Parts: sequence; C-alpha cells; structure tokens
Amino acid sequence: MLRFLGSAHKFCDGATRRDFLQIGAFGGALTLADVLRLNTAQAANKKQPTRSKKSAIMIYLPGGPSHMDMYDLKPDAPAEFRGEFKPIKTNVPGVEICEHFPLQAKMWDKLACVRSVVSVDEHSDSLVLTGYPDRVNRTADHPSFGSVVSKLRADDGGAVPPFVSLRGMSRGTEPGYLGIAHRPFTPGGQGNANLRLANGVTTDRLDARKNLLDKFDDTRREIDASGTMVGMDAYTEKAIEMVTAGVVRDALDVRKEDEKTRERYKGVEQFLTARRLIEAGVGCVTLSVGGWDTHGQNFKTLARQLPQVDRGIANLINDLHDRGMADDVVTVMWGEFGRTPKVNMNAGRDHWSPVMSALVAGGGLKMGQAVGASTAKGERPKDNPLSVPRVLSTIYRAIGIDPSLTFNNGAGRPMYVLDEREPVKELLG
Amino acid sequence: MARTLLSLLALAALGTAAPAAESAVTALTAYPAKLALKGTDDAPQLVITGKRADGREIDLTGAAAYSVSDPKVARVDRTGRVFPLVNGTAEITVAVEGKTVKVSLTAEKMEAPLPLNFPNQVNPIFTKLSCSSGGCHGKIAGQNGFRLSLLGFDPQFDYDNLLKEARGRRVFPAAPDKSLILTKAIGAAPHGGGKKMDPDGEEFKIVRRWIASGAPYGSPSDPTVTKISVFPEHRVVDRKGRQQLAVYAHYTDGTVEDITRRAQYESNDTDIATVSESGLVHTQALTGQAAVMARFNGHVTVFRATVPRPGAAVKFDFKEQTAVDTFTAKKWRELGIAPSELCSDEVFIRRVYLDVTGTLPDAKDVLAFAADKDPAKRDKLVDKLLDSPEYAYFFANKWADILRVKRRNQPNRAYGTFAFHTWIRESIAADKPYDEFARDILVAIGDEAKSPPTVWYKEVRTPEQFVDDVSQVFLGQRLACAQCHHHPYEKWSQDDYWGLAAFYARVGFKTVQTPGVANQNQQNQKQLLFVRSAGSVQNKRTGAAAPMKALDSDPMTATSDEDPRAKFADWMTSPKNPFFARAVANRYWAHFFGRGIVDPIDDMRVTNPPSNPELLDALAQTLIDNKYSLKALVKTICKSRTYQLAAAPNEFNAGDKQSFARYYPKRLQAEVLFDAVAKLTDSPTAFPGLPTDKFAPNRAIMLPDESFASYFLDVTGRPQRISACECERVNEASLAMTLHLLNSQEVQDKIARAGGRADQLAKDKRSDEEKVTELFVLATGGKPSKEKLELALEHIAKHEKNKKLAYENIVWALLNSKGFLFNQ
Repeated sequence: MLRFLGSAHKFCDGATRRDFLQIGAFGGALTLADVLRLNTAQAANKKQPTRSKKSAIMIYLPGGPSHMDMYDLKPDAPAEFRGEFKPIKTNVPGVEICEHFPLQAKMWDKLACVRSVVSVDEHSDSLVLTGYPDRVNRTADHPSFGSVVSKLRADDGGAVPPFVSLRGMSRGTEPGYLGIAHRPFTPGGQGNANLRLANGVTTDRLDARKNLLDKFDDTRREIDASGTMVGMDAYTEKAIEMVTAGVVRDALDVRKEDEKTRERYKGVEQFLTARRLIEAGVGCVTLSVGGWDTHGQNFKTLARQLPQVDRGIANLINDLHDRGMADDVVTVMWGEFGRTPKVNMNAGRDHWSPVMSALVAGGGLKMGQAVGASTAKGERPKDNPLSVPRVLSTIYRAIGIDPSLTFNNGAGRPMYVLDEREPVKELLG
Repeated sequence: MARTLLSLLALAALGTAAPAAESAVTALTAYPAKLALKGTDDAPQLVITGKRADGREIDLTGAAAYSVSDPKVARVDRTGRVFPLVNGTAEITVAVEGKTVKVSLTAEKMEAPLPLNFPNQVNPIFTKLSCSSGGCHGKIAGQNGFRLSLLGFDPQFDYDNLLKEARGRRVFPAAPDKSLILTKAIGAAPHGGGKKMDPDGEEFKIVRRWIASGAPYGSPSDPTVTKISVFPEHRVVDRKGRQQLAVYAHYTDGTVEDITRRAQYESNDTDIATVSESGLVHTQALTGQAAVMARFNGHVTVFRATVPRPGAAVKFDFKEQTAVDTFTAKKWRELGIAPSELCSDEVFIRRVYLDVTGTLPDAKDVLAFAADKDPAKRDKLVDKLLDSPEYAYFFANKWADILRVKRRNQPNRAYGTFAFHTWIRESIAADKPYDEFARDILVAIGDEAKSPPTVWYKEVRTPEQFVDDVSQVFLGQRLACAQCHHHPYEKWSQDDYWGLAAFYARVGFKTVQTPGVANQNQQNQKQLLFVRSAGSVQNKRTGAAAPMKALDSDPMTATSDEDPRAKFADWMTSPKNPFFARAVANRYWAHFFGRGIVDPIDDMRVTNPPSNPELLDALAQTLIDNKYSLKALVKTICKSRTYQLAAAPNEFNAGDKQSFARYYPKRLQAEVLFDAVAKLTDSPTAFPGLPTDKFAPNRAIMLPDESFASYFLDVTGRPQRISACECERVNEASLAMTLHLLNSQEVQDKIARAGGRADQLAKDKRSDEEKVTELFVLATGGKPSKEKLELALEHIAKHEKNKKLAYENIVWALLNSKGFLFNQ
C-alpha cells in the first residue's frame, strides 16, 4: 500500500504514529437485500424519520490531552497538581473551564463535557474511534465509527462518500471486519484524484462515452438476483455526478468560503473543511488537531494549542447553530487518555488513563452541563465512571444508530457495534 | 357452548386448510400415536398430519378439532397441546374434514408436582426468554452485575450466580415471590430488559415452584440430555402454509420428553419460512428451502421445509452429463421448477475460461470454438484449460488467500511467501491429491527453504489460530465461537475446541543464525519449525491441559517421538472423515456457481444444512473415488449440464437463488478484472518489486502475496488475507470501484496508451465493422447486435480524423458494461 508521510507526531515511546495519508477506499457495498432490509427497518422506525440524516464529527487530540488543564481544572488542589492555568466562568452557572478557552466559555449552553471518562493506557485512536482498545483490535478488527456509518448509509444517495477522514488512515479509521469498501475517503488518496476528470478526458467526451455505455450496457439486470448489477448502475450515476458536479471537490476547497469566514478559521482550517463536508452530506468526518503527549513543557505547549482548539471548536459549533444544523450534527472531541494530575519535574504531565474529559456538542444531546466529576486532585472519577464506549454509544444514538446492531465478522460471528453500550443518560437529557 | 366452539373450530379448519382444498384429505395420522404422561408439567404437543389425494403430507394440527373421552383426565388446546389433569386413562379424538384419528392417553403421578431439575427444566426458561442471550445477561460482562452463561450452556455457572451472588436476593426460598429473579422478570421491580414473564404463565410457575422447593440443582443421578430430535424432520409445505413441530429431549436414562415449548427456534432463511416460539413454522410467498433450528441445553436439531412452486408440476428433459445433473434435476423436480436453456458456445467458452483460468479468452478462440463442430468440444476445452499454467496460477491465488500467504510488507518475509506460493502453484499444476496437499501443510516442519508450507505457520502462531484456520479452511467449520463458549448453532463445546488446539501443543519455533552474521540482521535469520517431545495446551474452561481430541472422535495420544499433528492429519484426511472432502467439494462448487451448496461455504453446521445434500455427497464421493484429484472434481462440475445453463431465467426458475436451475452471474473478482482490463486495452502492468524481464509475473492472478500495492485491486475487493475466510473478498458493487473504472487516470492511461488496443485498432487496415465486432467478442464474448454495431460505426465516422479517440471511447464503454464486468 502506498503511503505518503503526513505531519508525523512523535510520541514518547519514540514511535511515529500512523498519522500518514494512506490510500483508502470509500463508499459502500450494500447488497440489494441489505438495502431492502434497511428500508424496512427505517419504515418500522417512523417515529424518527429525520434521524438517518444526522451526522457526526469526531475530533481526535492525539497523544492524550491534559484533562486538568482543559475542562476539569482543580484550582483548590495543591500547586503541584493544579498547574499554571486558571479556570474561568462559562455562561452556564457552575461550569468553569480553562482560561485559554474564552470562546467556548461564552457559549457553554451549546456545549457539554464529560469529566469522568475512563480510558486505557494506549497511544492509539483505536478506543475513541472504534470503542475497543488497540489490544483487542489487533485480533478482533472492530470497525471505525465512520465505517459503521458507511455500512449503514452507503445507499443514502447524494454524490458524497459517507465517511471522510481528514487525518488519513490509522487503526481508529480502519473498517476492520466490515471490509475495505468502508474505508474512509481520504483527501490526498487516489480516491480523491478520481474525482477530477482524468487527463485526456473532457466533460463532453465523458458525455459521449456515457451515451455509448447506456446503449451497450443492455444486459438483462434480472439475471442477477444478488442486486450487484442494479447497485452498479446506481453507483455509475453517482460517480459521474461526483466527477461532473464536484460536490466533494468543492467541499474540500475552503477557498470557496468568503474571506471573513476563512479568517475565523485561520490555522484550524480542518474544522471548516469538516463543516463543509457535513453540509455536503457526509455522514462522518474525522480529523485530528495538535500533539498532546506533553511529558515535558505541558503548559507551554498547551498555552499555544488551547486557543487554537478553542477557535476551531467555537467557530464550528456556532456555524452549525447558525445553519440550523446543531441538532443534526453531533461533535465529540477527545484524546486517548488524560494526563497525570501531579506535574512532573519537567513541567510536564505523563499518561493517565484512569480519568479524562470529553467535549460533546449538538446532535440533540443535552448541552450546557458538565457530566460526572473527578476526585479533588483529578485522579479518578469521583462517581459515575463512564467508559469510552459508553460515550461513543451516546454519539451513535445521537445520529440514530443503535449500537446493539450486529455485523458478522470473518468467522461468521455476529459482532455488536459496541459490547458496552449503555448511553450516558445525562447527555440524553 | 361446546357445539358452537366446535363449529367455530371447523370453520377455522376450513379457512386454514384452504390451500389443501384442491386435493382432499384421504387419511389422518397423529404423532405421537399414544401418550404416557408423567407429572403435571408433562404437556406434550400433538402433530396431526393429513395425507392428500396427491400423496402430499400436510399439517392439520391447528385445523383439527380435539375432544377427550374423559375431560377430567386431560384437556387439549386449539394448538394441539395436551394437558394432563388427574391420574387416569382417556382417548383423544382428532377430527378434520370428516376424517378422525384417535390417540390413547395415560396420566400418572399427578398427585403432586415432580421435583424440578435446574439444568433440564429451569435454566432453559432463561435461555428461551433471552435472559442469557449475548445482548443481555449472557454477554461476557453480564448486565447490571448479573451474568448468565451464554444461552445457558453452563448451568452450574448460572446456578451459582443465581444463588450465591447479590447476597442471595435473586432467589429467596423463604419468600419465593420476593426473589429478584421473579420480581424483575414480571416487571414488579425495575428491569432494564422489561417484562419477560407473565405471573400466570407456565414459566413463572415453574421458576416459582423451583424456588419454593428450595432451589435445588438436581440430584447427581438425574438424567442429562444426550440429544434432541424434531418431528417431522422434513416436509414439503405449500407457500403461505404452516407446520407445527414437536421437539423431544432424549435423556441418559432412556426417557424421552416433549420440550416443544422449552426449546428455542430460529429459521435460517426468513424469506422462505419463519417460526414462532411454540415451534409453529409459517412458510412465506417464495419457492425454496429453509432450515429451522431447534436448540435446547446445548443440543441442536433441524427441521427442513421445502416450499415448491405452486401449480402443476413442470415437465422438462434434462440430459445428465455428470453426477451433478442427477441430483440437481431431482431437486428441481422436488421444487416444481425447470432449468434454463443450455448456454451458447460463446457464453460457455468465456465462462469456463474465466472460472478455470481467471483469463479472458481471445476473440479468435471464441469464434473458432463457436464454429467447431465437434460434439465433445466443451469437455475437451475443460480438459485443455485444466492443463494450462493459468489454471495453476488462478487456483494458487485462491488457496493463497485462505492459507494467508502474507508478507505484511516485511521484506525479509518475501523469500518465504514466494516459496510457499510456488509450492501451492506447483501442487495444483501437478494435481497433487488434496489429502496430501492438506497433510503437507499441517505437518510442515523445518525452514521455509526446505519446506515452504512451514510459511503457513508464520500466520498460525497460536493454538487458537490453528483451530480457527484448520477448521475453517479444511473442515468447513467455524469453531471460533467455541473458544469462549459453546457454539450457539452447533454441538461444539469448548472442550471440542481445546481438544483440537491440543494437536498444536508441541509446535515450537526457533531462530537459526547464519554463522558470522550480526544478530540484528534479520535478513540472515531463519525461522525453523520443530516439534517438541512434550507440551500441552490449557483448556480455558477447565484450566487443565486439554487432551488431544478431533471432532466427534475419541481422545488420541502421541508418544514423545510422534508429531501430534500427524495424528490429526490421519483423522482429517481419512475418506471416512465427514467434513474434509465435503468442505473442499463445497468450496469448489461455490467457486464455479457463486454460491455454495452450503452457504456460507465454511459454515457447514447441522443448523445450516446443504441446499442439496445428495449433490454435496456425490461431489465428495467423486473426490474420494478419484484419489482426491481436484482436477477430477473440476471436471465433474464443469462438464455437467447444470454448469452450462444460461443465466437468463424462465417463468419457472426466476426466483431461484439456491438450487442452481440457472447460472448466477458473478462480478469478475479483483485480480481477474485487473487482468481483463489489461487484456482488453492491451496495456499490461508491471508490478513494483518484481523483475521486469519477460518471464516476470505480469498478471494480478500471478502475484505471490498480498504486499503488492494496487489501488485498483483494493477497490475491486482483493482480500488482505486477514482471515481464512473467502468472505473477505468483496465482489459486490462499490462506489470507489465504479469511480475508478469510470474516471481514473490508471484506466484512462491504459485505454489511451500509444500501442494499446485503441491505437492498434485505429491503425488496423481491416474494416471498422470487423474490428468493432472483434472488440465486442473480446470484451463480452459475443458479437454486437445490429444497433450496437451501427452506433459504434457512427461514432467512429464522427471522429474520422481521430479514430483512436473513437476507439478509446468504445473500449471505455465496453469496459464499464455489465457484459464485460460479469461472468454470465
């Protein structure tokens, strides 16, 4: 497989994470039977007819961001724990966040965080994007959140891929047992190149070719009971539309936005791209920001990165609200674990999986709150420990996917989307 | 009142028996013919069968009127279930359409309820009500602190959890009604799973009585279940018809008990038939076959329903060419359908080339074959193709998928994967008997240079992987479930799983150094597989060393100088082995027909029966009779008339998806499609990392392992060899694939290549008509229709000054048409 090295983040263990751009496939492979089944299932679920149009933005902060310096500050803890940053009030009484998050503080009614998330000590996006740790996925191959969306939504129409990864391929974006058809579309991969007319072909020529194809392609479709032929016809129309209408190409091109908007997202354009993709109809966009493995110089690094994240997330969520999409798009932002409550001798914090925080927005979930709490020194959940899969389960539900769905793996065993799937009830409201 | 009820019943009988009206009932039988009931819980199901004038047996259980000679002794409900009331004897009279049958009945031990046994009577209730399902308390973490074994396969575990956990609040013999297990189940206490039992229902009464009697586990001398059986085992049922089942548990003490209401049911094809909780099967509006599984205490059995096409039987002549045809034709007659016509010579040559060699035939070969007058030409073509190198390459690619010939992009593994691939290919070319082929892999020993099959063990590093891969590849069984719990759809238990794993126990690996080379240089290290003189594998359930035991056979032993794997290979490759020959016969059948006789192909279990068991047996026997020659197997399949049927359906087989009454079109698989595009455009590809001389592999079907980057192969569904399952290969449609074929630079460059097909044709002096015709034959196997030819010629005329451009467009359109993308 061809690999283009992207922005490589060095982590403490010396390994360069697979944050490279790797050619990925995209699109779906639903059989006709699947489609019929889904249609039936949707018909049976008439109560929430609009839910299937909901989408998700998964923001991953690689390296493990410090919970105590972002959404779970402990101003009353001893100095060696509380660190250098001060909390500020948000527009929701009782909820305070880091002073470097002033934009989010002004709009906390549109945001929520979970402060008692329990994770595992693994430098990997596996757990937060698939619901299973890397250790399990090495053999079990559970699919990425976006791949599940792809599997279920492949036939939703529209000339866009159901799953786009702006961070290339990684364990957490792999489709696992759902099959490579459900890999994300990755800008920079060959799938992207195929969206532009091939050299030597013009729109007129494509048109002429399509005319010939329509006449030549008269195989009786009913000879194929599997539905593959009919499926291909649908994809042919969709593919031509993707090439000629260029919806995805346009969505990826932030220059189509006005100057003022681009200024707002300066330095964090990925958030803008994510919004544009979601507007174009993509079901799941995943992206990553910064490097958070702050064993040393934690506060220096964070003082630089936090305002950026603040601007990205605030603009994104505000834009979604302005467009009336807040309830239809759920956003989650987190890393693989928290960081040691006690600051080390290098002014850094080390890995800390017993507790971390997650930021959640939209999707019809209950905003303007902080769910759960950590102990006085930010060491573990004080009560209500919430595992990563439970938060993920809530995100699945928010976009209308039941995480107790099963898909067969290679050994024919039905696998639940999530084994642990009790939602965070405080977020459901 | 009784009279009204009876006449109502008669009306109901008329209503439900309507399909049978075309043919009156001539005789009535009841099953069981007599009943000896013991204890108040013994309430068995009667199955009433009518014989129709046309000879067919139909279920009348729900349509019959039941009366008991002494209503004090027993009563029968409308579903045909008998409830004893007091000790005594009586006679049940069953009446349908004026015909009657009598069932004699004795009831005893009715004074007081008999003692309950937890594994036989109580635990199955939790399974039946889905308490112990994988989504609830049966999952590995349990649900809200309460865990049951999955589907109740471990009653002792469940008993302990019920009685000893949660400070004894789950069952409370002093005040049974306060037991959490009851209050939650009836919804009196909050329960995440909702209300599962009715306080007036049978299940509630049994569980309550069990608790009130002190919640006994049962005595060690109590009988245990040895097997379960179903009546009937097979029936031909009309569309929209029904069939009541009766299920029986057979115990160690020889007794048989009706468990119809305690068993769990599941249909393998709900488009054909569904089943209710009480074992009533409803057929749907489609023709075909369904298997309905019944499960009880880890045992399974199957009822098979055949749903024929309605209306008069269709007559057809079918000349049998190989053993295949005997049994496919028999099945079609049973289903009342007729096969499609024989396919044309043009379709046949393209089909068999693609299926046997993975290669598109040349246009001139297609035309010559069609013109050939030899009546035996089809058989001769099959023979010829089986001797071609492409056959060996194509099937080596197939085996390399499931034997996971995988380099994982590690350069130092290339020597091994290339050697193993060559070994597979040469075995196939030489038609090495399949039993030897499989044995050589299983007992491989030494290093990859001397023994290429040892490379298989580079991906099979643990006893668990050994069991999973061996069972899936060679036995057609998916055993992975049984690693952690009893297989839910098979009789295989964890002990069966670890019994197989034990054969791996003595496999050892060591790394051999080339003298004088630094340790760190992996290129100079060789891995050696050796067999230890001792070693064991721990059975995860018992924690003890697992004894070596193959499926359905006695434990084996191996002395310290024997290789346990050889013992296993002896068992596996024995002609008596019920799995080995069938598994590969089914795998090869699926290769040619796009669907296994058992489907999915590597999931051959009791509860997923073959759509045509006799056909599968005949194929397996062909293999055994021909000393496991795979070429003989391919000949039996490809020379059959069944394989040579057209894809176009007729009015009788249009809905057929599983009885092979026509050819089911297949999308060309990734490597074949890649090569076909190269051939159609006459633009071959060089693969990175391989030599570029004229002897180098230049086709995708020749690639030795998975580590050759190709976006084309990825989007068209090439497997990454993650698992031993052929299902990893994707042959369905995908947007990425369509986009790549329609608009990628890769395909466009092949089409437009200077010296490529379009360029050649543009310069070719022959008439455009001749050239277009040849192009169509190459791409689709058939000549163009008049309209298509005219359209193509018009298009060429439009681009008179740049014919290459016109031919490029025609090649593009053909390349994206179903006629090219499918084998049909």
